[in-house]
Amino acid sequence: MRHSPLDAVHRSLGARMVPFGGWEMPVAYPSGTLEEHRACRSAAVVFDVSHLGTVRVAGAGATDALQRTLTNDLGKVAPGRAQYTHLLDPDDASVVDDIIVWWLAEDLFDVMPNASNTDGVVGALGAGGGGGPEVRDTTGERAVLAVQGPEARARLAAVAPDAAAVGRFRVASFEFAGLPCTVAGTGYTGEDGVECAVPVAVAEEFWRAVTAEGVVPAGLGARDTLRLEAGLPLHGHELGPGITTLNAGLGWVVGWDKGPFRGRDALAAQRDAGVTPVLRGFRAEGRRPPRDGATVRRGGAAVGTVSSGNFSPTLGCGIALAFVDPSVAEGDAVVIDVRGTELPATCVPTPFV
Amino acid sequence: MNVPDDLYYSTEHEWVRVEDGLFRVGITDYAQDALGDVVFVQVPEVGAELQAGGSFGEVESTKSVSELYAPVQGVVVEVNADLEATPELVNTDPYGAGWVVLLQPVDLRSVETLLGPEAYRDLTGA
Repeated sequence: MRHSPLDAVHRSLGARMVPFGGWEMPVAYPSGTLEEHRACRSAAVVFDVSHLGTVRVAGAGATDALQRTLTNDLGKVAPGRAQYTHLLDPDDASVVDDIIVWWLAEDLFDVMPNASNTDGVVGALGAGGGGGPEVRDTTGERAVLAVQGPEARARLAAVAPDAAAVGRFRVASFEFAGLPCTVAGTGYTGEDGVECAVPVAVAEEFWRAVTAEGVVPAGLGARDTLRLEAGLPLHGHELGPGITTLNAGLGWVVGWDKGPFRGRDALAAQRDAGVTPVLRGFRAEGRRPPRDGATVRRGGAAVGTVSSGNFSPTLGCGIALAFVDPSVAEGDAVVIDVRGTELPATCVPTPFV
Repeated sequence: MNVPDDLYYSTEHEWVRVEDGLFRVGITDYAQDALGDVVFVQVPEVGAELQAGGSFGEVESTKSVSELYAPVQGVVVEVNADLEATPELVNTDPYGAGWVVLLQPVDLRSVETLLGPEAYRDLTGA
């Protein structure tokens, strides 16, 4: 089990630690998931997301390597920008990982996979063999802190004004305690905010400086309820084996016109044949949380399966993402089978809030 | 963790308080802490007959679902209606306002099959 550079800080705060993607990370601090969730919607929180991977891709050919390996088209953006993209299985276009690419400079990228997929992403990007760009896992060299919420930038400005000023989906460098750091205007909560990669040596100092500005520590529990309300996919639930980018309704991350990329042929075949099932949002009546694996029925017939479900602290009711038959449309009344109890729900647009 | 001296405990982390021949039942401080923020509690109907060790409801938190197991055999005479709108009472006051059901036990002495506070502290490392 790997540990974050901030592990001791989390333990000193009384966090409950859980295994996640091969790392032991905080699921909640003593204030609890609901309070952390509300703090992110109303003020500002900080998540330690050091378990995300960082793969440095550097040198001649780096841009080409990303273009032919990942789905999205870097031609739509430029150095200094962040882009959400997918790595597909070459044979069936299943989403092997969903990734944020930080385009730092010409032929210099930090590719940020999910924790447990980092080795696979290193392998895919380095598959060109000799003469290609350098592909190196730098996860162990930095901590990543996500500062999120409507007050995130204002609070962070007192610690790192250059970091607080980064634009949405922009990437910039900033200095903290005399060391170079990287910031991106990205997140996973549906709120404004930034994600900062800081060297391990100053990670704890950065965390303390941010929390001293009243930014509330938040754990993986709140991260999950926040991303679900925002309708954002989680790998292993909305993305993974047997699920393509198109099943998940994320066709906008596919650069169809950029030339060949890994998995393109299989994805194009699915696009041409018709995509089923498709991901939809559902709002349940009452507080009971639908859970992943629950069957969705319409008019007595099974039409799909919940991929993620929970209680929405903002709405005060259960919400779910589910893969369903494409005929299921917004406004349709369904029931979700929660261990034998039929929970009435309605197909709704996402994000939920 | 708080383990009051005047209660009985099950190995499934329910507590029982003897009240005028009835048993008030809830989940322990240890259990609520392990569950995290409780967002929904499914309680049985009044009149339901519970078997010792049988499932009689569910507690759902933001991270998991956990079954409630009857610590003893009995009939449900009252359920905590406040949990429908404020299930977080299970977190904030597990031995008080967060109680779950009131049982008419089949046998008052059935509490003696449960753990005392010392044994429950040993079980949970409290």
